[in-house]
Amino acid sequence: MTNSVSFPPGIARFSLPGAQWTRRVLLSEYFVLYLTIAYFAVAAFFFPALIEPRNISNQLSNVWPLLAVAIGQTFVIIIAGIDLSLGATMGLASVAGAVVMTSAADKLLLGGSPLWGWALTEQGGLLANHPWAVAVGIVAILLAGVMVGLLNGVFIARFKLPSFMMTLVTLMLFSSAAIWITQSQNIVNLPDSFNRLGSGDLVSVYFGDKLTPEIKRREILPFVTYPMVISLALAIAAHLLLSRTVFGRQVYAVGNNPKAAEISGIPVRRTIILVFVIAGFCAAVAAILYSARLEGGRPTIGAGSALLDIIGATVIGGTSLAGGKGKITWTFVGVLFFVLLSNTLNYMRLSAFHIDVVKGAIILAAALLDVLRARLIAGDRR
Amino acid sequence: MNFTAKAAGMALAAVILAGSAGNAAAAGTTVCYAFQDLSTGFWVAGHSAIVETLKAAGVEVVELNGGHDANRQLEQVKDCIAQGGDGIILTADDGDSGTVVVAEAQNSDVPIATFNRPPSDMTKGIIVVADNEAVARAAVDAMVAEATKKMAATGKKLKPLILMGDLGDPNAVQRRAGFMNSIGAHPDLFEAPVEVATKWNAQVALAGLEAAMTADPSIDFLFTSSDFLFPTIKSVLEPLGKWKKAGEDGHVILGGLDGDDGACKLIQDGFVDSTGVQDVYLEAQLALTGIMDAIKAGETQPNAVKLDPGFALSQANYAEMGPKTWGCQVLAAK
Repeated sequence: MTNSVSFPPGIARFSLPGAQWTRRVLLSEYFVLYLTIAYFAVAAFFFPALIEPRNISNQLSNVWPLLAVAIGQTFVIIIAGIDLSLGATMGLASVAGAVVMTSAADKLLLGGSPLWGWALTEQGGLLANHPWAVAVGIVAILLAGVMVGLLNGVFIARFKLPSFMMTLVTLMLFSSAAIWITQSQNIVNLPDSFNRLGSGDLVSVYFGDKLTPEIKRREILPFVTYPMVISLALAIAAHLLLSRTVFGRQVYAVGNNPKAAEISGIPVRRTIILVFVIAGFCAAVAAILYSARLEGGRPTIGAGSALLDIIGATVIGGTSLAGGKGKITWTFVGVLFFVLLSNTLNYMRLSAFHIDVVKGAIILAAALLDVLRARLIAGDRR
Repeated sequence: MNFTAKAAGMALAAVILAGSAGNAAAAGTTVCYAFQDLSTGFWVAGHSAIVETLKAAGVEVVELNGGHDANRQLEQVKDCIAQGGDGIILTADDGDSGTVVVAEAQNSDVPIATFNRPPSDMTKGIIVVADNEAVARAAVDAMVAEATKKMAATGKKLKPLILMGDLGDPNAVQRRAGFMNSIGAHPDLFEAPVEVATKWNAQVALAGLEAAMTADPSIDFLFTSSDFLFPTIKSVLEPLGKWKKAGEDGHVILGGLDGDDGACKLIQDGFVDSTGVQDVYLEAQLALTGIMDAIKAGETQPNAVKLDPGFALSQANYAEMGPKTWGCQVLAAK
């Protein structure tokens, strides 16, 4: 066994004790997981409260909605595409469901909406207070997401539009549509049974000494929550779809080389369309979780930095923007890293002016490490 | 942080240290300040006053910038609660998200105070807010006095316009109400007002105001729901030859609300007729004492509404009220 490491041109050669071990870690497909664990360990050393059950429970609650939408982006990036419209899809879907479910609307806020008077009134939405309101509202959210995905997929597959361009157009189109429909207002007064999907828990835990009436509510920790069940079910289904089905293999093949895939008889167009439909569906699931936790249909729910978080978490997880490479488990780790980063930065008591600078620097460091990894792997293949 | 803000912070710290909260309570206390942006003079002054005051009082401050993302702000506040924050001061993006965040804090037994921008449900939390309807009405009443003189000279009714804030923000709703109530009290003086939505966004305001001035060039009475839009108003009126001082031919009667340093300077220079002043330092003090008292008393769900009565600063009362206006204090310190 030798400690010398073979590096491609441009990377300095070195021979150090433990170099093999470092190399193995760097080349592992779970490198980001190791990085996350290492970051967590270092951060926990300085901020021991990070590993308190209360904080871990909170961090996990922030993972689930982002994971849902990042799963869709993973499919798209594996076929060497990108979906910039996922945030807008969430906004439109959120509004679509709220219009069905809301039990009251304010004329001062929403009176200028094109829906006012027929779909929205002071008495609520289309199915206000109806027993089926939540079920139909959820279907409306999912349908809105699927329809946006279908539109993206059809134009990209049939007319060979670059996914960047097409989804940029639908980003502008549907975010504007959602804002126009609502006049940029939130549609609130959603049913409690819907709102519980965003934060309700199935199993709670308490780590104290004894059960007494004096237990503070903040000490009772959600353990198994609705968002956890929904997002994990979606993640498992997506993982199985990608890793255990013919469709999954077709997705990787299209991402590696669409020409070769077509010659091999793979239905490339259908695969692309289905991938964007899946992405729209995942965005709709995330819209359910975000709308429920914020207790309202929000046209701007996926605006701002949300898209960067979605793409950032997916790519940092290891899914390659060049296509053909990616896993749901990697995306899960990428989302964990993102959420952990935000959580620890709060602990550092940094000024608001400095937090985003530090966040950007850490993401850059992670990206540079990934580049180093890629070069090492490329060197191995030569 | 400028001298005035520092001085105000020290004074507020002294209030907290000497007051019921006390230094002993402050030591080892962590307060999270969750806000949405620092894009206007009002928010910058408020941020400085709150953060510097808490630090001066020995309180550990966790600053959380939501960046206009309601979900991000909710997650930040949940982080604060999970990390053992003793209290929260919140400026939400809108009233609806404010309601959700206040409920999250109260359900976790952490006291919360909202600074200046109240939640839609004002029954929960310590709500520190200006009496927006009264302040806006006072500012518009001062403009009406100028309008009365103008009509006496020209014999023509004036055409009013309001740049409205985001109506999802209760502050914007109340300011619009103050404007409408003042205008509505003088039907002989005004034509029907034009309403332009801004969403608290200068670009949206610019597009809306340009369109309105093009559609109706006779608009000669303009109220903005926030002083930060005066530069936008100037950029629209100046090319039209309507950016004139009071008394000059073509002057559009202008008013706003906040009382920031920009508005104070424009009143000094004669371009703006009045502004409603909400006292940022008073509001910061009300939020701080409210949250520190609740922490000391072990109150986990304090509910109270604390009003900043505010006042109108105009060219007529500048000598008397200017020194009491926070924006003029900031301006003097520059």
